[in-house]
This record gives sequence, C-alpha cells and structure tokens, in this order.
Amino acid sequence: MTSVEVSQDISRSPRTFTLQSAALSYRAIVRFFRQPAAWVPGIFFPLMLLAVNSASMGRVADIPGILPPGTSFLMYLIPAVVIQGVLFGGIAGGSEMARDIQTGFFDRLLSSPVARPAILIGRLAGSMAFGAFLAVLFQLVAWPFGGDVIGGLAGRLVLVVVAVILSLAMGALAAGIAARTAQEETVQAFFPLVFILLFLSSCFFPIVLMSGWYQTVAEYNPLTFMADGMRYQVLYGFSWSEAGKAIGVASILAVLGLVFASAQIRYRIRNAS
Amino acid sequence: MAEPIRAEGLVRRFGDITAVDGIDLAINEGEIYGFLGPNGAGKSTCVRMLVTLLTPTAGKAYVAGFDVVSDANMVRANIGVALQDAAIDPLMTGRELLRLQAVLHGIGKSEGEERSERLLDRVGLTDAADRRVGQYSGGMRRRLDLALALMHEPNVLFLDEPTTGLDPMSRLNLWEELRRLNTELGTTVFLTTQYLEEADELAHRIGIIDDGKIVREGDTGTLKEQVGCPTLRLDVDPEHVEATMEIACKFGEPRPSRSGRVAVGLEQGASAMTELLRLLDDRGIVVQHLELDEPSLDDVFAEATGRRLEGSSEHVAGEIAEDGSAGAEGLIP
Repeated sequence: MTSVEVSQDISRSPRTFTLQSAALSYRAIVRFFRQPAAWVPGIFFPLMLLAVNSASMGRVADIPGILPPGTSFLMYLIPAVVIQGVLFGGIAGGSEMARDIQTGFFDRLLSSPVARPAILIGRLAGSMAFGAFLAVLFQLVAWPFGGDVIGGLAGRLVLVVVAVILSLAMGALAAGIAARTAQEETVQAFFPLVFILLFLSSCFFPIVLMSGWYQTVAEYNPLTFMADGMRYQVLYGFSWSEAGKAIGVASILAVLGLVFASAQIRYRIRNAS
Repeated sequence: MAEPIRAEGLVRRFGDITAVDGIDLAINEGEIYGFLGPNGAGKSTCVRMLVTLLTPTAGKAYVAGFDVVSDANMVRANIGVALQDAAIDPLMTGRELLRLQAVLHGIGKSEGEERSERLLDRVGLTDAADRRVGQYSGGMRRRLDLALALMHEPNVLFLDEPTTGLDPMSRLNLWEELRRLNTELGTTVFLTTQYLEEADELAHRIGIIDDGKIVREGDTGTLKEQVGCPTLRLDVDPEHVEATMEIACKFGEPRPSRSGRVAVGLEQGASAMTELLRLLDDRGIVVQHLELDEPSLDDVFAEATGRRLEGSSEHVAGEIAEDGSAGAEGLIP
C-alpha cells in the first residue's frame, strides 16, 4: 500500500454520485430493519387501529350513500393505516438522521468526498423502502379479512406509489428538523402533531359524517386528498384521475419537504461547531 | 508535494469566544505532528477547520496542497480522518463500513473489497469483520476507525485524540500501528492528543496549544532542552514546606507540584542537589522522599502555559511565590 494523490474532484462525477447514493441508501435500509424499535410501532399501531376501528365503527358501512355496495369499513380504512404507518416511518427516519449527527457519523460523511445530495438521498431511501413495505404488508394482512382492493393490481400499485412518495415527503420533513436541531427528541416530539393531522382528515372517518370547523379542516387537509385518491382504488376501482390526485398532492409535499431538508442540511453544514 | 499541512493566521470564533486565535502551521511531508493541549484549548476546532468541517473565521489553510475553503472537495479526497469518539455505526459490520467507505471515495467494487480485506488484516480485525460494530471493544473500534481513514490510501492522516478512553494495551497497539504507517508509507500524520506520553512517543514535532494559540513548537528534544534544568521534588513534613521552599528557591525557580511537595528547577544541574540537602539538614528538616527528574514534556507544557496537562488543577509556581507565602500551599492542587 502506498499513499495516492487524488487530483480529480470525484464528487462531481455522476457515476460516483449514483454509487454513493446507492451505498448510503443500502446503509439506511439495513440500519432501519436492524432496529425493530424503529419499525415495529409503524406496523403494530396502524394494524391495531385497523382492527379496533373496523370492529367498533363497522356499521358506518350500513349508512346509505357512505360506502359503495359490497364494500366494508375495513376496506375504507386500508389507505388510512398505510398513511399512518408511513408517517411513523418518516419520523423514525428523521430520528436516524439526528442520531447520525449526534454520534458524529454525519461528520464522517462530510469529511469524505461524498456529493452532499447523496447524504439526503441515502437517508430518505430507508423511509421510502419502509413506506413500500408497509403498503404491501397492510394490503396483504387486510385481504383475508375481506379487505380487498377493487382496483386490482393497478389499484394496489397506486397505494404503494403514494406510500413511497409520502414517505419521501415525511422523511424529508423529519430529516430537515433533524438537521436543524440534531435532537432525536425534537424529531419525535413532532409525532403528536402528525397524529392530530391524521385525525383531522378523512383517513379514519368519512367527511360527510363530520360537522363544523372539523369538517372544513378535514376537507382541506392534504392527507384527505391522498386518502381519498387511494381509497377510490380500494372501494370503486382503478382511476387515473383519482390516482393522479393522490400522487400529485404527495409529490407537492415531497418537493416542499426536499426543499426544506436541503436548506436545513446546508444550514447544518454552514453552522457546524 | 510541498508542506502537506500549512496554516496562516487561522482563526475561528464562535460568537464572542475565540476558539482558535491566529494559528500558523507548517508540517512537513512524512512527519508525525503532535498537537498537544488540554480540553478546550482549541485542538479539535483547529482539526475541524483543516478537514473542512468548519469554515475558518479568518486566515488560510492548505491541506495536501489544496485550500480548505475553495478546494474543500479536493482536500477531502486526499485526507484520512478519524475524529474524536470513533463515529462508527454500531448496527453495521466492520466489512460493510469499509465497503461503504470505499464507495464514498469512488473506489471500484473489486478494488474496494481487496483493500477492505487487506486493511482488516492490517488492523487485526479479520475475524471480527462480519460482526456488528456495536459488539466491538473500544480498541477494536479505534482500529476499525483507523482502517476506514486509510481506505483511500491518503497522503495526510488526521487523528483527533485517537487513544482517548482506550486501555493501555489497546493504546500501545494503536501507537505501533501508527508508527508502522508512518515508516512504511510515509503518511503525514496530524495527531491531537491530551496525553504527554503519546506525543512524546509518536511525534517528530510537537505544537502546544493553549487558549487557541500555539505557545511552543518544536521537536521534543529541543523543547525539553529549552526548559533546561532538572526538577528536584521533595516531600517534607507539612510544617516545613514553607522553609523548604525558601531554601529550594536559592537553587532555582519553583515548579508546579502537588500538595505537600516542594519542586524546584535546579539551575546548576543535579550536582546542586547535595548542597540543597545539606542546607535542609542544617535547618533540621527531614526529607521523607525525593525525586530528581530530567525535563519532560510535562515540564515544557507547564513552562509554556503555567499549568500541568495531566492533573491540570495544579497551580502556577510563580503565582504562589508572588503571594509571599513561599508558595507551598499554592502549589497544592
């Protein structure tokens, strides 16, 4: 072994950038799944809510005009639990980033010639993989209990795609908070707010049965657009326009999340101590 | 390559606090440079600027021939870094982390795998390579950290307190590995440490930093010679400490020392010890224990900063002498 002088800036090479992003993504995914505490709540709590809500409020399906004939409240809840799991996963991903900053791993990355965007991409890959995993898992778990998806394979795929994009959005938002504060606790403290947002939407209950300000907030809640777009695939069948609505709103949130996260990571790099 | 590490008037401020206050460095190729100082002296802040993790408030620095601000990516590509508290992911295995490091430095898959195996062998971690790092001992983590820093075969290696928290055997092993690296590969090493022994053992040249400034710099032999005379330490009955100090000060300057002990630098050398002991005997002072030490890095540090590095609660001999109490009480930590 001899010392080697590097005379080219490898962080500008597209090939190196792709490989660096892939390697950091692999690390994020492996790390995530090696920590049951990071992903078990994201599976357990949504499934618990699916079981409890479908049993306790199952008769909502009997109210005329709420659900199409031949469907069930369990089917109504499938998009809700996917969204809930994804929100859990995003926060867990953000906590991971805060941990990387606290333990110094972030500094290790910054002192290497890694392209800066690859750090964020790598971090978000874990959240996105978890989102895809949850969307598939929840559909499979609900299936034997009558939780079918009328939209078939295409409809199921829409649920997975929306879950992945929403994971990106939520992961980016949480990563931005992590980059700004470097505190796992702060990222996790964000969870109750997300939980309130979830219940102030159509995720767990039809908007037509709500009233007053609650109904107004739920109507304009971005999660409602995503839940309704996904739900259409489950209850009525595959629809391009409904899929586009859910994917579009999730994509807008993802872009906003990425802009926020990039700004906060730049802030972290600039103001490191 | 010109000087692998060069700094001119490097400054870093955090609000009103000046952590690094106008440091100049010129470190030669193949040199091990020991950056010695107590906690909070500015060592790590200086390293963080040199490895591009922190932007200097003022001044210039060049590492591996590149400006740390305008050519930061080139600096990163040419340096190996092992920062304080080995930041190694405990959920990954040693081999996984080495391969990740290879990709981050743009090393191809097969070459990365080959280098990983070679480095694992070099640092004695081949058998533990597929275990998660969380199961490693502190010494194993440090060795892995070193292997990670060497993956891309850098010209310049920065090690920030690499042996802090290690047991003596792990510390010796790491020293041996660093010597081997420097001898075999000619790697320039910038080593920060708060251990005098470490700096004395490893460094060709030492810079002592205190309050953000380099207060002494040179090779260890020259620095020790500058301190000059040997130190005589005497343990006497507490009631005789003051009188002993009075006599001892006739033979040289007082030196920092622990409670109940009198220390003096013998300006006329070790031969003056006989006369000093005779005077103490004449006054009926019984010496319970005595030590004669040649100048050490600790003395260099004390002379430069007025404090001891290890056991820094000790006070400055000069300060004590000024209060007129012949110093003994003030020398007590």
